[in-house]
Amino acid sequence: MSRNSDWDIERALDAMTASGINRRTLMRHAGAGALSLGVIGFLAACGDSGGGGGDGKVIPKGEIADTLHFSNWPLYIDVKGKSHPTLDQFQKKYGTNVKYVEEINDNVEFFGKVRQQYADGNSGGRDLHVVTDWMCNRMKQLGYVQKLDKSAMPNVVNNIEQAVASPDFDPKREVSVPWQTGQVLLIYRKDLTGGDLTSVNDLFDPKFKGKVTMLTEMRDTVGSVLLGQGVKPGDATLDQVMQAIDKIEKASNDGQIRRFTGNEYTRDVARGDSAAILGWSGDAPQMVSDNKNVAYNHPKEGFMVFTDSMQVPVGAPHAFTAEKYMDFVYEPAIAAKITAYVNYVSPVKGVREELAKTDPEIAQNDLVFPDLAKAHSLKTFSPEDEAEIDAAFQRAIGA
Amino acid sequence: MFQKRRGLLPYLLLAPGLLWLLLFFAVPLYYMARTSLETGTIFTGYRFDWHFETYTDAISNYDQQLIRSFLYAGAATAIALAIGYPLAYAIAFRGGKWKTALLLLVILPFFVTYLIRTLSWETILEDNGIVVSTLQAVGLLGDNGRILATAGAVIAGLTYNFLPFMILPLYASLERIDGRMLEAGYDLYGTRRAVFTRVTLPLSMPGLVAGVLLTFIPAAGDFINAELLGTPRQTMIGNVIQSRYLELTDYPTAAALSFVLMAVILVMVLIWAKIAGTESLMGAEAR
Repeated sequence: MSRNSDWDIERALDAMTASGINRRTLMRHAGAGALSLGVIGFLAACGDSGGGGGDGKVIPKGEIADTLHFSNWPLYIDVKGKSHPTLDQFQKKYGTNVKYVEEINDNVEFFGKVRQQYADGNSGGRDLHVVTDWMCNRMKQLGYVQKLDKSAMPNVVNNIEQAVASPDFDPKREVSVPWQTGQVLLIYRKDLTGGDLTSVNDLFDPKFKGKVTMLTEMRDTVGSVLLGQGVKPGDATLDQVMQAIDKIEKASNDGQIRRFTGNEYTRDVARGDSAAILGWSGDAPQMVSDNKNVAYNHPKEGFMVFTDSMQVPVGAPHAFTAEKYMDFVYEPAIAAKITAYVNYVSPVKGVREELAKTDPEIAQNDLVFPDLAKAHSLKTFSPEDEAEIDAAFQRAIGA
Repeated sequence: MFQKRRGLLPYLLLAPGLLWLLLFFAVPLYYMARTSLETGTIFTGYRFDWHFETYTDAISNYDQQLIRSFLYAGAATAIALAIGYPLAYAIAFRGGKWKTALLLLVILPFFVTYLIRTLSWETILEDNGIVVSTLQAVGLLGDNGRILATAGAVIAGLTYNFLPFMILPLYASLERIDGRMLEAGYDLYGTRRAVFTRVTLPLSMPGLVAGVLLTFIPAAGDFINAELLGTPRQTMIGNVIQSRYLELTDYPTAAALSFVLMAVILVMVLIWAKIAGTESLMGAEAR
């Protein structure tokens, strides 16, 4: 076995390819090989979806487990150093160690991640996840979440705020329990707009051409524009929604709207690339404290709210403990601790009174305790209409 | 005995690579092809029924984004070639002892994540930033002009992100050119121009072919640059595929568009290989 056989191998390899390989063709092949890179990412599209779980029975009562897997969004619970005090309190009370995972950054991405598992009736170890209303509805329709036993959760029954107690997709809150509620606000740079913004319609003012951004979340953007047109998003018809989307698409094509964003609007506003935007209440105070030229307002026509809710996925190993946890965070004292940190609107009654004792400043904050009479959310349409609306909105935002 | 082993050996050597391709290329490709011919929604489930209309619908609905993708990728490739060739040439022939250091500088941006690299362009090109204000001061840009959120920014981002893929293969083929070939060219009274077009350029053709492919292909399928540096009027086909797949859970259309993208790229690659890859252009005899 020496040089001779090495050469044999090379020749044999050469003979296998009709053309024979030299450096050039190898390079050309290497170039074509890059094609495959784009394909690998698309692996996930395989397999069928549908059914699974959700047989109508509520979660049976049982023992409290010693662990609980809670999947949530980043920066969405109280933090002290490296620990979460309310989770520690839960452990003290029930002996349950909560595995708290901040793995949700985006509703659709999270859905893509868990879809296959949930469809197979496997929660991937999760006992609780937090997603936004419309995704809660999708999870429910697909049978990916379990029906809750409200008798195991007296605090939830007694303390839930009226405003979030009965959304149209889950009127009795049987498959979802609100975690926090956020608002869609007008956020703007006073130095660039030369004044205050008070109406959603100000975003269509030609003065701000190319300096306006709206949100990629369809319900937040379309609902706000509907309010500007004098339509109550909760009672909107399909036609009215489509008209609002047309208006948005036209403004985008005219260059009035610079782009559609998620949280990245914070950078756009900080740089001054955008001057008048739709943004979320969770970001507004931080943006103001970073830059004194930034201001925000609830639109005078009313404002959109979105509620993120806890759900117990099918196959959750500690479903009963998950119910106990939901009940635990509906104690006003616990909910107040979370609110004091996250600054979203709490779905729990009595939080304001608790905060008046511990953090009076937050108790007076109109972002944490807004006038909920002016809060709106978009009606839930049939799956076919929703698909039509979503597709129209995606077209409007360029894709 | 020996004969038999010799017959099997190349296949054994190829086995790991083939297995890899089978698992991570052929199998996903099959599922993607299957998905593209299905109909349904996440609520009704997806059924395979040879639904070819998905393809025609996808092409007619997203013709703009498809054309835009290839225009932007083509422009980015041309600019990368215009920047990359002189740079690779300079490093290969004038680099001297700095060759390695210069090459390292070319690769250096790759030590930073793709996303962060693109985000930093947002800052560089911002409306009130130094680039825009300088261009406004010299009158190249109107007072209300901007660079960020324009087609120019997207093409610039694509060019920047894929430039090393152009430079490295060009450098590899230029560096291998025997200096005596060039001397021979001058000895035969070739002008600088003639020596370049008849000796250097043909000899560097393999690198040029590879560089163009390595730049054009990923650029055509990119969506990050259009999303971060563009507006809804600059979205590319990658953005559409992402939106169809994640936002609308319209897996058949997403899969069909991926196939259309692949097919168009494949055709363009074959045409390019036919034009640029002929033996006379590639200078096989010059070896």
